[in-house]
Amino acid sequence: MALNPLFFRKTIIAGTGLFLCIFLVVHLSANCILLLPEETARGLYNSYSTTLRESPLIKIVAYLLYASILLHVFYALLITLRNRKAKPQKYVMNHSKENSTWTSQNMGLIGTMILLFIVVHLANFWARIKLGMGEAVRLDAVGNVDVYEVTSSLFHNIYYVIFYTVLAIPLALHLHHGFKSAFKTLGFYHKNGLRIVAKVALIYAIIMGVGFGIIPLIVYLK
Amino acid sequence: MKVTFKIWRQEGPNDKGAIRAYEVDGLTEDMSFLEALDHLNELLVLKDEKVIAFEYDCREGICGQCGVFINGRAHGPHDHMTTCQLHMRSFKEGDTIVVEPWRAASFPVIKDLIVDRSAFDRIIEQGAFISAKTGTAPEANAIPIPKAVSDRAMDAAACIGCGACVATCKNSSAALFTSAKINHLNGLPQGRAEEHKRVAEMTYQMEIEGFGSCTFTGACEVECPEGISIINIAEMNARVTKAKVLG
Repeated sequence: MALNPLFFRKTIIAGTGLFLCIFLVVHLSANCILLLPEETARGLYNSYSTTLRESPLIKIVAYLLYASILLHVFYALLITLRNRKAKPQKYVMNHSKENSTWTSQNMGLIGTMILLFIVVHLANFWARIKLGMGEAVRLDAVGNVDVYEVTSSLFHNIYYVIFYTVLAIPLALHLHHGFKSAFKTLGFYHKNGLRIVAKVALIYAIIMGVGFGIIPLIVYLK
Repeated sequence: MKVTFKIWRQEGPNDKGAIRAYEVDGLTEDMSFLEALDHLNELLVLKDEKVIAFEYDCREGICGQCGVFINGRAHGPHDHMTTCQLHMRSFKEGDTIVVEPWRAASFPVIKDLIVDRSAFDRIIEQGAFISAKTGTAPEANAIPIPKAVSDRAMDAAACIGCGACVATCKNSSAALFTSAKINHLNGLPQGRAEEHKRVAEMTYQMEIEGFGSCTFTGACEVECPEGISIINIAEMNARVTKAKVLG
């Protein structure tokens, strides 16, 4: 039977998106360690990151994560290009805000902002700690790589604090629309269930946006 | 009542087209929007100018012929309404009203405000029917259908194929239309015999016609004159997966 060759591109975007949503929960939970008093935070944060780096299971998850981000971006780009082709001529006047949210109309733009954030974020941490680029990272008192120092020094630079905090806004917007739409793309069509999904998406997006946005500020002010 | 219409004029499919302004006097609030266009066309005839081509049929809000983009909204400023049900009382004296044809690569402009929506017909041809013998209608109680099931099928069947969903969608996605046609039949016992084939072939046709993907902005269900819910699209997505696994 001729089945739609393009239909499953959206499934891939939804699936990888939801996987990334789960990842963010774990990431934010770990970030909360940064809110503890300095010495406790340093010990816990460094031992946590060392455990992650040495775990073979996390290694698999990390590759899944890289693959998810790449697939999510790649298919989103493919679909966006095709969608643009489907509407080659724009309206002279279009009041799309009267029938849909700005976020839902601009997921590509918001996603690009998040991608920019990810690139900077990876350069700040991943490149320095895992690839050993830039200034060498010292060990802490118990011999773990001092990831806490990397984080804390970064968040004492006001420009980075502003960058991290401001870009939590597009993250929250993207998650709000993406989370609830992913369920529909994957074929969840229970009416009341979708209402609950929409509420969960809102709460989830607020927690993620506020959480990721406020932690750099708190570290800066600590 | 006096308004300024800014209307898309395009001689033919290969013509470039442009917006032209027309000041129109002598309208009343009770006129329907299409009657106002008729009035403008009569004035154009008297001036020996070419009339504005626009589509209509029933003027009762049920045929789906009369779709145009009015002041930045499909079928005008109201939710869930066809163009023919829009009246001039929705506008103010001296207003400028911008009128454009549906914009989508799959709906090429034929002339002025008329677009070619035969892409919809080709989606229908792929399976929005049941392969039953024609003849006398069977006894109504021969196949018992629960009320909830028939209600959902009827809600989907309400689609009049006007194309507002495609017109308003930033991706020109035909997902709402196609899902309504699929769910109308696949929910009923008469349609179930061919459900997987129907889903596969109709969604396939939808893609090759060049409609974009659904990204759930939700604009379509607001502009849909019949208020068809985008939950239909989610249901279609589930049916595509089911057809892939079981079909």
